[in-house]
Formats: sequence, structure tokens, C-alpha cells
Amino acid sequence: MEIIYVYTRKRSEFGRPCSFSDRPAKVNVDIPPDPSMASDFVLRNPVDSYVQHTSDMSEHEVNTERVEVESRGVNHVEGGWPKDINPQEVEQTIRFRKKVEKDEHYINTITHLGTLMEHCVKQNNAINIYEEYFGEEEVAEVEDEPPSAKTINVIRDPNITKRTATHLSWHPDTCKKLAVAYSSLEFQQNTKDMSFDSYIWDLENPNKPELVLKPSSPLVSLEYNPKDSHVLVGGCYNGQMAYWDTRKGGLPVEVSTVEVSHRDPVYGAIWLQSKTGTECFSASTDGQVLWWDIRKLSEPTETLVLDVTRKGLLENALGAVTLEFEPTMPTKFMVGTEQGIVIACNRKAKTPPEKITSTYSGHHGPVYALARNPFYPKIFLTVGDWTARIWSEETKESSIMWTKYHLSYLTDGCWSTVRPAVFFTTRSDGTLDVWDFLFKQNDPSLSLKVCDEPLSSLRLQDNGCVVGCGSKLGTVTLLEISSGLCTLQRNEKTLATAVRVLWAASRCLRLKERARSEAQETEVEEKPVESPHEVLNRARREFFEVIEVELQRRAQAETQRLPSLFQVKDCVGEEAAAQGEESQLLKDKEEEEEEKDAAKEP
Amino acid sequence: QMIFNADEAHNIVKECIESVLGKADYNHNKVNQWTAAIVEQSLTHLVKLGKTYKYIVTCAVMQRSGAGLHTASSCFWDTTTDASCTVRWENRTMNCIVNVFAVAIIL
Repeated sequence: MEIIYVYTRKRSEFGRPCSFSDRPAKVNVDIPPDPSMASDFVLRNPVDSYVQHTSDMSEHEVNTERVEVESRGVNHVEGGWPKDINPQEVEQTIRFRKKVEKDEHYINTITHLGTLMEHCVKQNNAINIYEEYFGEEEVAEVEDEPPSAKTINVIRDPNITKRTATHLSWHPDTCKKLAVAYSSLEFQQNTKDMSFDSYIWDLENPNKPELVLKPSSPLVSLEYNPKDSHVLVGGCYNGQMAYWDTRKGGLPVEVSTVEVSHRDPVYGAIWLQSKTGTECFSASTDGQVLWWDIRKLSEPTETLVLDVTRKGLLENALGAVTLEFEPTMPTKFMVGTEQGIVIACNRKAKTPPEKITSTYSGHHGPVYALARNPFYPKIFLTVGDWTARIWSEETKESSIMWTKYHLSYLTDGCWSTVRPAVFFTTRSDGTLDVWDFLFKQNDPSLSLKVCDEPLSSLRLQDNGCVVGCGSKLGTVTLLEISSGLCTLQRNEKTLATAVRVLWAASRCLRLKERARSEAQETEVEEKPVESPHEVLNRARREFFEVIEVELQRRAQAETQRLPSLFQVKDCVGEEAAAQGEESQLLKDKEEEEEEKDAAKEP
Repeated sequence: QMIFNADEAHNIVKECIESVLGKADYNHNKVNQWTAAIVEQSLTHLVKLGKTYKYIVTCAVMQRSGAGLHTASSCFWDTTTDASCTVRWENRTMNCIVNVFAVAIIL
């Protein structure tokens, strides 16, 4: 701080006498004490204070000059000759060589370099880092581990009133998102507070939906557009169709007009293969299949009435419960109906009656799922009532293969996208079955109880490893199946073809047998009628024989302490058969007795 | 002759205190800085008045914890030209007392 005050003064004016006087004491500051202020302070005891007895150090850094090092290689094609020697000229090169070899330094350098090179060459030969390891071993083919599946994620319906997860659709590209349609399919059970929303879930965050879709009526089916992963189409409970663009939010971009839509819930909605990628079609239990272009949802582009009598009458129409469409066969599609019939249709037929090409009947109840085998499009799977059946398009009379009748009815099914012989079904007791027809034909190769409530829908991810199951209370469980069930086995395709041929052959055999047995029955009628008495004796004899055999077998079974599962089943099966026979024979006996009485009377 | 304007000095010093202490609360670590700053600034401003005076500025900052403070001063000088001024400033946590003594330089 520099405060400079400069003044000038004449020399003669220096030394003026000062006149001093006293200024009495003045109180400068008078602040009275205020004990109340002490309450603002707290006595601190002990007080920390630090003392350090070290020498002061300071920190400095020094960095030497950095030298950039770079590795480079030079590839000499020809020698590295000095400039004035033309490598093509043999004479010059020879002369140069002789000159250099006479140099003293040359020999020393060469020997030194030689040892270095030798070291490197030896090192290189010792370890061949480019060698093919494990080249001869083959990948382990045999899958010894039993098939299994584990739950990787469970997504619950966030609403209080739970609704059924009726349809699942995986995001076509990423497979990390899942669109789930929620609605209550119970007849007139919709409570006032039941929400209409359906959700798109991101698997990373199963607690909160990524996007909430808000239709005007609950969605029964929901599908991502395989070409444009932002667009989804949904079929509503009241029969309308709506489509969403996820970039635009949760409200539908457009909804079809009520008058031209379906009159029943839209159970199936699938995107079609078209240039524009905006066409889809829908089916409902009101008996209609409607084609839509989502750019103009005010009216369908085409309609088809599912009347198998081919008259196009809505009264005769069968209600459609599921739709099937394979992009490789764009003109054909199939509809599964409530009445248990599968209708195959051709879209390009000229007149509506011709659109229905063929029907396949065989189920006792509604066909809940319909899927073509992705590897063999002529084979398709239907799931309905208590069985799943496999059909071939050529054989229209009956399915070529069916599973046994389960205790609970089947609700949904689909083929595996990677293995041609594997398919999945869900049951109303909450079990997911995985069937592998190459491994076991009678039973599912894996049966997994997913939850206690009925499972309502099933969808396999495109990679074939993760399957999502929706349940009646809106819980979507994601399961990862073991790699054995989702990697293609070596001979699977050939084996599957062989199995198909076998099935077709066995069906033919069965048909022949049936025809033969029908012929046999007529033969039996022509046999001379035995006298009632003889018939009765014969029946009695056979009856007791069967009982004897059965008793023996039961005694045997009890002595065998450890019956295997199959044997017991066989025994049970045979017992059931025997019992059936017994009851049949009893009935026969009764009938014979009645006949005898009747014969006696007149 | 020159007269020391006590009011002017009072204002100058008050401004200096405000600028240094302002809204601060008593902080034992900073008190030294504050007193030094107050004294320096006040002196600089007083000298800028351009009068031929010798100035003596003292500053005392005390924490308000209930204690009382009393000071007094007495001077022997030329009462016609010399004067002193005391500025008191306080806030919730501290008191600041600045004394300015101005002694004329007789030319």
C-alpha cells in the first residue's frame, strides 16, 4: 500500500511553533454487556487445535522431453542397394558385393546380426501363434442335460383390477420390448374401474410400462408391424380396430368407425405383407374377416364372411377365434373358429364363395391357436379343447398327429422358430408344455407350472430362446428355455421330414384299418346268430377269464415293489381297458339276458 | 485554516466498514483480514481528501457474545486544527469500532 503525500514549502516557513492544548478524555465506545447474548453461544469443551512439527515441503514436477517412438517396418523386395547401383544390372551388383565383402566392418556386423536373427527365428518356430488349436475336435453334439426353462422376468398388471393378458407381441427388431394387450374376456364382467389401457413394456424395467396405450375399449389383440417397429395395430373388445404410432404417444392415431367394424371382440389382428406395409386384417367371433389399410380406417378394404356353406350368409357364419398368416404364402391364410373348424382361405379368389378353399374339422371346442411350422409351411398346429393337433394341408380329413387329452384345456400354442419339431402350448391350469416330437411323442418333453391361474396367451421371441406367457390375472412371465430346446440339432431337419412322412403313413394305415373294421362290422352281422344261451355262456366265460388275468396281474404288480413309471401307467391303462371290457361284457351279458327273456316270452 | 470535517470522515469510514463486513457473520479466521482491510481502505480514502493531515486509524472488531466494551481517549494537540472521530457499526454477531485521529501538518 503506497500512500504518497507530496507538499512543497518554502524554507523560510519551516519551524513554526506548535500551539498545543489538551483535549479532554472522550469516551469512544460504550457497549454495555448483554448476558442474554451468551445464550447464543455454546461452550465447547474440548476444542480441537492442531499443531504439526514438520519441515515445510513443497511439490515440484519435472518432465523430461518426450520422445515419440514409433514402430515401423520396411519390406525390402530387392536388396536395399545404394542409389547408384542398378539392381537389374548383374555386373554392378556383383561389383558392389565384392567391394562390400572386403570391408572389415562387414564381417563383424554380419555375425552380430546373424545371432540376433537366429534368436528371432528360433523363437518363431518354438511357438506358432497362428496354429489352429482344437481344430480336430467337434462341437459336442449330444445334449445330455434335460430340457429346462427358467423364469427370467415377471411383469404384472399395474392396475388394481387385474385383467387377462390376452395377446403378446414382441418388438420386431430389438426383442427387448413387449407389447401386451389386456382385456377381460369374461362375458359382461367389466367393472367400472377396470382400466382400458394396454402397455408396452421394456424388459429392462418391468416395474413401469414404457408406453401406455389408451384405446377407447380394451384391446384383445395387439401386433407390432414387422416392417415398421413404431406402428402397432390393435383389435378392441367392442370390435373396432385402432392403430398406434409409438412416436406419437399413447392415444391411437386412428380408430376404425364403429358401424363398419366387427360386432364382437377382435380376436385376431395380423399385419399383411404389402409394399406399403400398412395393410392388416382382422377376424372376430361375429363371423367376419375384414381387411384394412391403416391409413384409412374409416372402412375396411375387403370383407369375407366365414360361411362354410359358401353362400356368404352371416347367419351361417362361424365365429373366428384366431387368425393365421404366413408371409411366405401371402395369398393364403387360415382362420380357426369357435366351432372347432379350421378354414383355409385364399385371398385372391374372384368370388367370395371361392375364397374358402377348405375346412379341417377335428376339435371339439374353439380353436384357440393356429400356427404354421416355420420350416414346413404345409404343416400347421392347432390348439383347442384339450388337445393340440398337427395337420398337413394335404390331408383334410383329420389331423396327422394329435396329443393325448389333457386334464385341462389348452389355451394357446406356437411353433419354435429355431427347431422344426418343437412347439409350445399353454394350459388353463397355468402350465406351459414344450413338446419335442423327435424326442418323445406321447408327452411334452418339458412341462412347467408357470403360475396358478390359467395361462391365456403365449408368444415366442424370434430368436427362439425366450417365451412370454400371459395369464388370466395379467401377469406376463418371461421364461428362458434351455439351449437344448432352442438350438438346431444336427439331423433335426432330416429327422423332422422323416417323422412327417411317418405320420402321414401311419394316418393312412389308420384310415385303412378304420375302413377295414367298418367292413368287418358288416361281416359280423352276417354271421349266424348264436343262440342266446350260448352267447351268455361265452360272455360269462370270457368275463371270468378277463378277471382272472387281471387279478394275476395286480398280484404281480404288488409284489414288484418298484414299478417304473411306464409300467404302472401301462398297468393302469390296461386296467382301465380291462375295466372297460368288463363293463362292456357286463352290458353284453345283460343284453343277452334280456334277449333271452324276450325270446322266452312269446 | 484547515478544519477536519468529522462528518465527512464518518461517512467515509462507514462506507468502508460496510464494504468489508457487509453481511458477514463473525468468523474468527477472517477477522484479521477484515480489520486490516477496513483500516487500509479508510486511510486511503481519507488521504484522498487532499488535506495536509496526519491520520491514525484504529479498528476493533468484537464478537457479540454478551460482553461489554468501553474505551476512551484523550489527546494533547491543537484543538483548532486537529480532531478525532469514532465510528460504531454493528450487526447481529459483531461490533466494529473505528477511531480516526487527524493531526494537522503545520506548513
